Formats: sequence, structure tokens, C-alpha cells
Amino acid sequence: MSELTLQDVRKSYGEAKVIHGVDLQIKDGEFVVFVGPSGCGKSTLLRMIAGLESITGGDVVIGGEQVNDIAPADRGIAMVFQSYALYPHKDVYGNMAFALRHAGEDKAVIEDRVRKAADILGLQDLLKRRPKELSGGQRQRVAIGRAIVRDPEIFLFDEPLSNLDAALRVQMRVEILRLHQRLETTMVYVTHDQVEAMTLADRIVVLRDGRIEQVGTPLELYHHPENRFVAGFIGSPRMNFLAAERSGDGTTVTTQGSAPIEVPVSPRDTQGPVTLGIRPEHVELVAPGAGDLDARVLVAERLGGETFLHFDLGDEGDFVVKTDGGATHQSGDTVGLSFPPEALHLFDAEGMAFAPRERHALIG
Amino acid sequence: MTDTASSNRARASRAKGVSTRVAVHGVLAGYTLIAIFPVVLVILNSFKNRRGIFTDPLGLPGEGTFSLEGYATVLTQGDFATYFSNSLIVTVTALFLILLLGAMAAHALAEYRFRFNTLLGIYLILGIMVPIRLGTVAILELMVDLNLVNTLLALILVYTAQGLPVAVFILTEFMRTLSRDIKDCARVDGLSEYRIFFEVVVPLIRPVLATVAVFSMIPIWNDLWFPLILASGDATKTVTLGVQQFIGQYTVNWSAVLASLSIAILPVLGLYALFSRQLIAGITSGAVKG
Repeated sequence: MSELTLQDVRKSYGEAKVIHGVDLQIKDGEFVVFVGPSGCGKSTLLRMIAGLESITGGDVVIGGEQVNDIAPADRGIAMVFQSYALYPHKDVYGNMAFALRHAGEDKAVIEDRVRKAADILGLQDLLKRRPKELSGGQRQRVAIGRAIVRDPEIFLFDEPLSNLDAALRVQMRVEILRLHQRLETTMVYVTHDQVEAMTLADRIVVLRDGRIEQVGTPLELYHHPENRFVAGFIGSPRMNFLAAERSGDGTTVTTQGSAPIEVPVSPRDTQGPVTLGIRPEHVELVAPGAGDLDARVLVAERLGGETFLHFDLGDEGDFVVKTDGGATHQSGDTVGLSFPPEALHLFDAEGMAFAPRERHALIG
Repeated sequence: MTDTASSNRARASRAKGVSTRVAVHGVLAGYTLIAIFPVVLVILNSFKNRRGIFTDPLGLPGEGTFSLEGYATVLTQGDFATYFSNSLIVTVTALFLILLLGAMAAHALAEYRFRFNTLLGIYLILGIMVPIRLGTVAILELMVDLNLVNTLLALILVYTAQGLPVAVFILTEFMRTLSRDIKDCARVDGLSEYRIFFEVVVPLIRPVLATVAVFSMIPIWNDLWFPLILASGDATKTVTLGVQQFIGQYTVNWSAVLASLSIAILPVLGLYALFSRQLIAGITSGAVKG
């Protein structure tokens, strides 16, 4: 039993409120990623689960037991830190064995568990090394090994890959995924990198200013963001937004002088300003005059496999279209932009999304 | 044409490199000479007789001037073994207390958030600006009331108080730079706050502890003021005070003074060597990221 439940969890430092009542249920064996911009409270929330920050209000429940006032070591958790936090004066074996030794565990048991963890992570030949003799990736592996050795009910990861270079990050990401498949333990992972969130998570929790914006599977968040913040945060490059006027039942819109576009969402009201959202990869390029809008290419960024075309579309600023690497468009060319209706999102003045009439095929 | 030009340039820059290096080493050598000269002079003259010291103070001890009479006097007259052990006991105990209490205070100031944290920090550091000797009279009265006059404990307490402000200041600044993660990690591993301090924090700050130790050690070892006032009894004399018996009102036994000073350098040199090994170890380990 290693479910984790947060009930109306709050945190404030004096007058400053940091976490404003978070409710969340994490199932046994689930991989949940907290993601959000810096300062959104995701690390604070993780540290509250770990017991490193006190809880101002609400309950943290692990495996059916309220743990608000239980010391970190007795919560059945293990944590991996961004800076690895290895003990520099102990070798790899000493680092991994430290918690168990401290708990008065039997020597043979410690030896056995450290060997097993070292096998999983490929650290067998490094056990006698000091942290300063290891590379960044090896250090992070030791930090993860130290967590595995404790055989926790819940793993907590606090931006574990942020200190690694890009290539290593991809490799470690895969290793963490395999680790989760192998151990089938509940994992809570904090990151500001939405690619990590998308690739690792069973479910993503998007946080902003100490509040949950949306909880869902990666594809739910991608295809059906509930508000403009989530829509802009998930996906890279970010979703394009265009101010639009409404007509008809409130779901037919015009933007930038386009012909009326019917967005397939459930009507809610008919008045008030709205924002149209579409992801760069969903815009289709057509001949001038044949699409919904005509626009002039500002800059073409060629990455080889794909090309990003930037347009200047009035008040909402940069509008990006992702197209294939063979695109011949030059800066200054005029092209037509066509918006497939099923890829459009509509947000009201508060940024809340209109519910789509049909869910995406990949999402149950 | 270009070849000669570039080789000329290379030669010029090489010459410049050599001259810079010569200049740097010249300055360093000059400084070393100035710093070491008095010490060498003391040691040289400690091996001469009285006449040798006065007729040729800068000369090497040779025929007619070489003499061990200074050392003989020091070792036979007075109780220098006791003075030495007094100095060592006072210095080592005070150092231990300064490092222990200073590190604990610094850890608390750097690690925990509590009311008056900053105020307490300023209060602890204030001692840097106020020389402890200003309080000599009050300290003497206090020691008399506590019946601590002519005990080594009196000196140990005063020196601990004297050394703490700088120690707290340096250690707090350094402890603020320690990663918070590693302490949190120890908390998750189940260590008590005391064990976090002793098993995680202290090993990490060892090089800084050595620095503070060296800084605090010299003034304590060399101090004459407080031994003279608080512990001038024969059983509690320190080396610097013991040397004074050779300095009379009318005659000074220079051979003995210089001999005892030469001997007094040795223990402090030993302690310094001990700490500086740590210093260098600290510098090299800090050079590696993480």
C-alpha cells in the first residue's frame, strides 16, 4: 500500500502563501510528474511530501496513514536531489549504505541490498570511488541507487536531471523509465522541463502559483488543456494564441480578418472576447488566399529535420508554424495559413477552455 | 616574411613571459626574506654566547661565539617543561572549544530559520570590533569572584571568548554556501540534527576549520597580557610569560631569551603543519565541482 493522498494541503511562510490548498490522489505504482514554471511551488510541495517542509494546513496521507508530523525517515520515502547531495567524504558504497547503517541494519543485508542496487544501475565497478571521481551521470546514478537501497514505498525526485548535459539527460530519462517499470513503485517527480514530464509521466500535475491548474495524462494535457496556461505550457514550441471575435452561438469566430471559423467546442455563452489557440505543428501551409489567413514569413529557422516559420500576427506577437525540413519558404514570402477545426482551442476571457465536442481518439 | 614576423612575435612574448615570471618570483622571494629574517636571526643568535650576540648580531655562530649556554639555562633554570605544557593545554583546549562552539553556532545561524537569527548573528560577531582587552578589569574581577585566578581554566575561557567572534563569522559565511540538499538528504536518511552536524557538516567544513584554527592559534600562543594578569603563578605560567624571567630590570639574559623563543616556535610550527595539510587537502577537493 503506497498510495499518496494530498488533502487541501497548504503552506505559508508567515503572511506569504505558497501553496493554496492542493488536492491530489496518487495511485500505487503510478508515476506522477509535477511540472510548472519556477516559483510555482512544485518543489515545495514535494518537500512537504518528504517531510522537509512543515505543513501549514491539510493532510499528507501515505499508505492510508496521515504523516503530517512524522519524520522524513519514517515516511517510507526516498528522495533524489537535483544537486545529487552525495556525501563527499564517503565512497559510493558508503553513500549507498549510509542510511541502512544508520538504521542499524544487518551487515549482510546492507551488502546484499547495495550490490543489488549497484547491479540495477551498473555501478558495480565504481563502489570504491569517491563522488569527486565520478562523472555527473554516475553521480546521479549513485544518488538514485542510494534511494533504491532504502526500498521505499515512494520515490521522490526533485529535478534530478537538471544538472546534466542534454545528451546525458535523455539517457538518464530512459533509465528512470526502465527503473519505474522494473520496481513498479510509486514515483513523484518534479521538473520544469515539459519534455521530461511528457515522456516520463503516467499523469502530469501542472502547477502555477501554488495551485493545480490541471491533472491528466500527457496526451490529455496536450490535446485537451483546460485553460490557456496549460495550453501554453505543454508542447514545444508553445501554442499560438490569436485574439478573436465571436458570432452565431458563440463558437464561430473570426480572427485577423479571416472568414468565420467554426470551432468544434460546446457553446457556453455568446458574448465577451475569446482567444483562439492552435499548436505550431497543426497549422497547415497553403497557397496565399487558399487558407484562413495570409501572412508574411518573418524568419525561417531551419533545424534540418524540421523548419519553424515565424510570423508577426498583430497583438499576440510571435506566431510559429512547424513544417518539414524541406520547406522552401524564405523570409518575406507570403503564405496562406489553414487551421484544421479539430486542432483549434477556444479560451474565454479568464483563459478557461471551452470543452471539445469530441475527445481525441487516443484518449479514452 | 610572415614566418620571421610570427617567430619574432613568439620570441617577444616568450621573453615577456620570462620577465614576468622573474618579477613575480622576485617579489615573492623578497617578501619571504623579510618575513623569515627575524625568525632566522632569533634562531642564529640563540646558538651564540652573550659576547657573540652583541659584537656580531648578524654573524653565523662560529669559533668563540658558538655556545649552548642559552639552552642550558632554559632547560635547567625555571620550569620550562611546565610552561610548555601549560601553553599547549591552554592553546589546544581553547582551539577545540572555539572550533566546536563556533561551528555549532555557525551551523545554527546558517541552517535554521528562527526569530532574531540576524540579531543573534550580529551579537556574536560584534566581538570582532571590540577588543577583548578593553574588558580586562571586568574579566579579572569576574575571575576573582569565580576563584579562577591562577588557573589554566581562566585562560582557556578568555581565549575561547576571544576567538569565537571571528570563528563564527568565517564559519557562518562558509556554511551558508553548503548545499541544503545534502543536509535534507541526511534528514531523509534518518539522522538527528546533531548527527547531521557531526557526520555530514563537519567533514564538509574541515578545510575551513583548519583555517580558523590557524588564525586563532597564533594570538593565543603568543599572548602575554592575559597570562600576566590572570595566571602569573609559577604553576600556571605559559611560555611567553616564562621567558620574562630572563628579562631583568638591569640585565637581560639574551641567550636564554632567544633560546626559549626558539624552542617556543617548535610546537606552534607542528600544529601549523598539521592544519595546513588539511588546508591544502581542502583547497584541492574544493577544486572539483560538486
